[in-house]
Amino acid sequence: MTAHTDAMSGMRMGLANALAAAMPCLITTVIVLVAWEVAVEVTGVPAYIIPAPSRIWAALISGNASLGYHTAITAFEALAGFVIGSAFGALLGIVFAYSPLVARSLMPYVIASNTIPVVAIAPIIMLWFGSGIGAKVAVTAFLSFFPLALNMMKGLQSYDRTVMEVFHVAAATPLQRFFKMRLPSALPYVFVGLKLNVTFSVIGAIVSEFVQSDRGLGFVIMTAYRTLNMPRLWAAMLASALLGILLFVLVAAAERWLIPWHSSMRDNS
Amino acid sequence: MTATSPLLSFSGIDVVFPGGGTAAVTALKNISLDIKAGEFVSLIGPSGCGKSTLLRVAADLIGPSAGVVRIDGRPPDEMRRQREIGFVFQDAALLEWRRILANVALPLELQGVARDERLARARALLDLVGIAGFENAWPRQLSGGMRQRAAIARAMSTSPRVMLMDEPFGALDQITRDRLNLELSRIAEREAMTVVFVTHSIQEAVFLSDRVVVMTPRPGRITRVIDVDLPHPRQLDMRGTERFIELCQLGERLLSEGFDDSAH
Ligand SMILES: Nc1ncnc2c1ncn2[C@@H]1O[C@H](COP(=O)(O)OP(=O)(O)OP(=O)(O)O)[C@@H](O)[C@H]1O
Ligand SMILES: [Mg+2]
Repeated sequence: MTAHTDAMSGMRMGLANALAAAMPCLITTVIVLVAWEVAVEVTGVPAYIIPAPSRIWAALISGNASLGYHTAITAFEALAGFVIGSAFGALLGIVFAYSPLVARSLMPYVIASNTIPVVAIAPIIMLWFGSGIGAKVAVTAFLSFFPLALNMMKGLQSYDRTVMEVFHVAAATPLQRFFKMRLPSALPYVFVGLKLNVTFSVIGAIVSEFVQSDRGLGFVIMTAYRTLNMPRLWAAMLASALLGILLFVLVAAAERWLIPWHSSMRDNS
Repeated sequence: MTATSPLLSFSGIDVVFPGGGTAAVTALKNISLDIKAGEFVSLIGPSGCGKSTLLRVAADLIGPSAGVVRIDGRPPDEMRRQREIGFVFQDAALLEWRRILANVALPLELQGVARDERLARARALLDLVGIAGFENAWPRQLSGGMRQRAAIARAMSTSPRVMLMDEPFGALDQITRDRLNLELSRIAEREAMTVVFVTHSIQEAVFLSDRVVVMTPRPGRITRVIDVDLPHPRQLDMRGTERFIELCQLGERLLSEGFDDSAH
């Protein structure tokens, strides 16, 4: 049996397993939705308290002031900020890993900045960057920056000491050490950071839209709240959750593709 | 270099590790040892007697506090840069993120050997160490013995003049270990490898070696060198012969004497 057929059957197994694993959750979802719809119908709870799933769905797909447009705006803000913040965070992490002095000087700020709530920092950043989309991107970039710097640093320090000695005996150059050993060892950590960041970046984008905006899911949520349009509010909530899940799945797919040795190892355990 | 001069020579090697707060540790004291080209030499001795340290000095992983190491008349760092040193660790230390073939080809890749050439060489080596067919496996899919085979192939990839092996089979079960001993012995003979091999097993040392160097700790030094006059090629059933048992008993006695000495 070759490793190739192993991988193929592994993939088929993976799909079947994923379906089997998702089944209980799917069934529960259907049951909950039906019960919810019936309960709203029977008790006559007004829609501004709890809207029925059918009304949320209608609000979700209604063509008028389409949620799709606002979701796309928020998705762009989240994704752009995530990419920019993660890229700069990765660079800072590399500097930290190679210069303990810089790491020691800046680490307290990095840790402190991680504890600042996004609702507190968003208005400040938006004062600097204006009220456009760029300002929201800046907020989400800020959120991604430090977590990735920390994970990149930890990852670059996580290499196996014996493997380092193998590279030494083989007379590897510093660049070879970085690209062929330390960076690959760091990737699992980097993806831990990226998966956290991608979820937070959706939150960051929405929160900064709360502060000031005329489009995006945060804007929809605020206006729906003010006008007590609950089905639309719930639909926006659902859209933001789906957006978060979608971005997370994209990062997870990138992880599987980039570090197959690692993600498949976790499957087996 | 004349034919009789040693390929690997240690003369007057001291290694002292600064204690950093506690007392400094003298890992090796005045070690002198000459190893000829094509010779298989084992180092044996209780834990802490400096076997690994001696190998690490030869591989330029640490510098000696005193004394001189020469490989073919040159300092170890020069030979290391020329990829003339192979090192096999107790832990196979394969790169998890590379398939086996790419792992074995790593030293050639670092050296800048063209892709086709290095992969062809790596394939030949996988064949030599008996794991042909696992080119595309991930390291974690291999058993401990197979991983060690891959590590040996990797160390051999640049055809180094000197092969240093630090308890490469220490973590393996007895049957796997016997097999690998036999195969290593074959490969070393066929390739005329010069090997320094660290082990805790006197049987393994006698089976593989032309000479067994017995060491004692605190400070690490050589007590005796046993010449192994068993015929080549070595066979597993040799281990039942009188001479083999005699040599093992001699080794064991020297080892326990070393313990008594240090207890005084
Ligand atoms: N990097 C180091 N720093 C400080 N002391 C060290 C270092 N490496 C080894 N030593 C000390 O040097 C001595 C010899 O160590 P070494 O690892 O060479 O022993 P060994 O014979 O290989 O032992 P083992 O059989 O357990 O592998 C030990 O006392 C050890 O504690
Ligand atoms: Mg050791």
